[in-house]
Amino acid sequence: MSGIYDRPSPSQVSRVLQDRCRARMAGMPDDAVQAYLADAVYLERKRFHAGRHSDPAPPAEIEAIEAAARATHQGRGDQERAVLALVDAYAHEIHNVFSQRTYKVATRVIPSALSRLLTSTSPRELVRRGAFDPDQRLIIETAAGDDGAALRALAREHTLIFAPTHVSNLDSPLIGYALDRLGLPPAIYGAGLNLFSSPVMGFFMSRLGAYTVDRRKQHRLYKDVLKDYSIDSLGRRCHSLFFPGGTRCRSGRVEDRVKKGLLGTGIIAWQEGLLQGRPHPEVLVVPVTLSFSLVLEAETLIEDSLEEEGKRRYIITDDEFSEPRTVATFARQVLELDDAIVLRFGAPLDLLGNPVDPLGRSLDKDGLVLDRRAYVTDAQGRVARDDQRDHVYTDILSRRLVDAWHRDSTALSTHVACFAAGRLLRRAHPRRPTAELVLLPPAERPVARADLLAAIAELLAELDAMVAAGRIRTRLPGGTGDPQARATAVLDEALRRFRGFHSRRTLEDRGGSVGLDPRLVLYYGHRLHGYGLQGEM
Amino acid sequence: MNIGILGSGNWGRALATLAAEAGNRARIGYRGRPPGGFPGSPNLAALTAESDLVLVAVPPAAVREVIRTARPGPGARVVIACRGLEPGTGGWLSEIVTSESACLRVGAITGPAIANEVTHRRPAAMVAASPFEEVALLAQQALHSPICRIYTSRDLRGVELAGAAVSVLSVAVGVADGLKLGVGVRAVIVTRGIAEVVRLGRALGADAETFRGLAGVGDLVAAAGLPDHPGTAAGLRLAQGGVADPDTRTKAEAMVALGRRYKVELPLCEAVAEITAGKLKARLAIDGLMRREATKEV
Repeated sequence: MSGIYDRPSPSQVSRVLQDRCRARMAGMPDDAVQAYLADAVYLERKRFHAGRHSDPAPPAEIEAIEAAARATHQGRGDQERAVLALVDAYAHEIHNVFSQRTYKVATRVIPSALSRLLTSTSPRELVRRGAFDPDQRLIIETAAGDDGAALRALAREHTLIFAPTHVSNLDSPLIGYALDRLGLPPAIYGAGLNLFSSPVMGFFMSRLGAYTVDRRKQHRLYKDVLKDYSIDSLGRRCHSLFFPGGTRCRSGRVEDRVKKGLLGTGIIAWQEGLLQGRPHPEVLVVPVTLSFSLVLEAETLIEDSLEEEGKRRYIITDDEFSEPRTVATFARQVLELDDAIVLRFGAPLDLLGNPVDPLGRSLDKDGLVLDRRAYVTDAQGRVARDDQRDHVYTDILSRRLVDAWHRDSTALSTHVACFAAGRLLRRAHPRRPTAELVLLPPAERPVARADLLAAIAELLAELDAMVAAGRIRTRLPGGTGDPQARATAVLDEALRRFRGFHSRRTLEDRGGSVGLDPRLVLYYGHRLHGYGLQGEM
Repeated sequence: MNIGILGSGNWGRALATLAAEAGNRARIGYRGRPPGGFPGSPNLAALTAESDLVLVAVPPAAVREVIRTARPGPGARVVIACRGLEPGTGGWLSEIVTSESACLRVGAITGPAIANEVTHRRPAAMVAASPFEEVALLAQQALHSPICRIYTSRDLRGVELAGAAVSVLSVAVGVADGLKLGVGVRAVIVTRGIAEVVRLGRALGADAETFRGLAGVGDLVAAAGLPDHPGTAAGLRLAQGGVADPDTRTKAEAMVALGRRYKVELPLCEAVAEITAGKLKARLAIDGLMRREATKEV
């Protein structure tokens, strides 16, 4: 049974995390313990200072850090106690108790009010529009091509890590909904502190398996506590949802790099399970891809992506999600679209990135079962912990995860039309850097409709070959017939979808020409980045 | 420690000598005739399964087939001990191991250790690289002895690239020697050759220091001073109007393809590729290189 139904109390969690931290500090020399604490003090004070006007920290947090600051000048015992006091505070902040009752209610109402749940706005309008059948809007696919039976079987015996691409703030609720639709147990997931700011959203999230992650806390101690929390939760057989890309992908691309912090907790939890002889020690990874026809936050995300690297914001709190009217418009428009979102659960992998069979056994390249424990055991078959080795293993898993995301992503009409439009801009301005291309004056932006159709037809032929090679998936109108007819169907669908959606028109039909917004064209076209297609904008 | 060596040629036997010198039990996996003077086994899979470390000492073109036969498992540690990229695909030899088997713990070893010199117990040094620290350390324990120093590195990509580049740049050295252009030109080829590999290495995420170390400068200087080094010998033959063997040609082509993929100019490697493909006379190639646009070094 999934451990999510039997979550420990915050004080139990705190004790476990303190024990883990104590064990970590036991291996540190005195100056390392002092540096561990000082790093937390320095970065927290810096954060408090930077946010003193815009985002003042609660007095209790400031007090805790000042107490820790005093301890840095005292002996090791005091320093360790100060570290453990911070761990206790973080444990209580991070951990939320899952409520099965809330979960059941939420999954029952989601089909008719997913957006309301997400935003706590405009419920009357959603009710007025009648029943929302999410199965027409949200396509849920599994690699096994079944109703989730294969994943359910794996989830009964093993602990699963769902590792999705991260596009929108809608991702985690959608995945939560999809897990329920497939009859899978809920998964715990880390949600940014800012998402708890809405009382309604916070109420539900804290009871739907979300634990709180404060991304503003950048010091090592906090990151260690988060990792320990994840290791402990996996060890308790809580299926977990990680976004290995970290935050929402600003550029619109399928992520090609991932953060290995949380992902790396899987292999530690697995080895701990083996060492302790737990009955279900195995941990598997399920790549998940979300392909959105339209992305609510597209305008903000691409603006952020185009900013200089150093100025990029890690947490966006003023995007489209903060504007109720925009969210309502988005909800309305998405609810009107068929195949608006494709959510695919890919083929599960072991923690080394090998595929697994229906029983969860690892397979080699010839499809033969291999003993994956040999990756972490010595010649005598004993588990031999090696952090450096495990870090490289997680690197390998990350690369294989990125490959799976690319293979499993679904190209939709909006992506195809925008990539083709971007290609036309690139051809017209071959030497201009992208940063200049997105600033093209309005007069230079429109492309001839006939040219765009030809570019789409050309791209469709390339995509057909990629689909045949298993490199990507597509869900496009127009069947498989005449290239020109297919291109027309794709363009018309994309134009229809973009109509009135963003504040700036992504693609706009102007009779013989198509007007475009280069930034949004870049954003949606980016979904086809990373496949080796030539002539990218 | 049990060391399995896949490949019974000169280099395989030299590695077995080094392993024995380091106090380890070395066995050579072979096909056809058993290697004289060393314990061996024709069963590559069994040899691999019984070894704490496996060294692959076959030509790059044979690595895939040997790995398919040896089938190293998830517990295996495999170190590539040959230079170059896979002919045809241009793939990294270490990646052939991970794609053709369940083994993930891979590394590479290279440097100025010459088979004949090692066999005669002359001092040598090499660098063993792997992102897995344990693999590099294992290779060090396997081969480090008073006659051969083994340094470790995490820069597997850099070490593999350096090995591949040396096998091509040594051809350029041989060409220059064959044309009797003098030691100055040889030095130019060594330094500018390393400079172009550093550029490519950076694009690949490798550490530039790797190319200035044993795997790069060290190996190339050794090759330049050795007329019977395979690359240098091939260059000498080409300078005298001979035809390149397919192995030399494919190594050069693979390097050039890599440069193109990463949009890095490799003038020396490109010249070698043209000479080995018979598209350009050796002297004209040198002339072309000297007439390139003047530029700055640093």
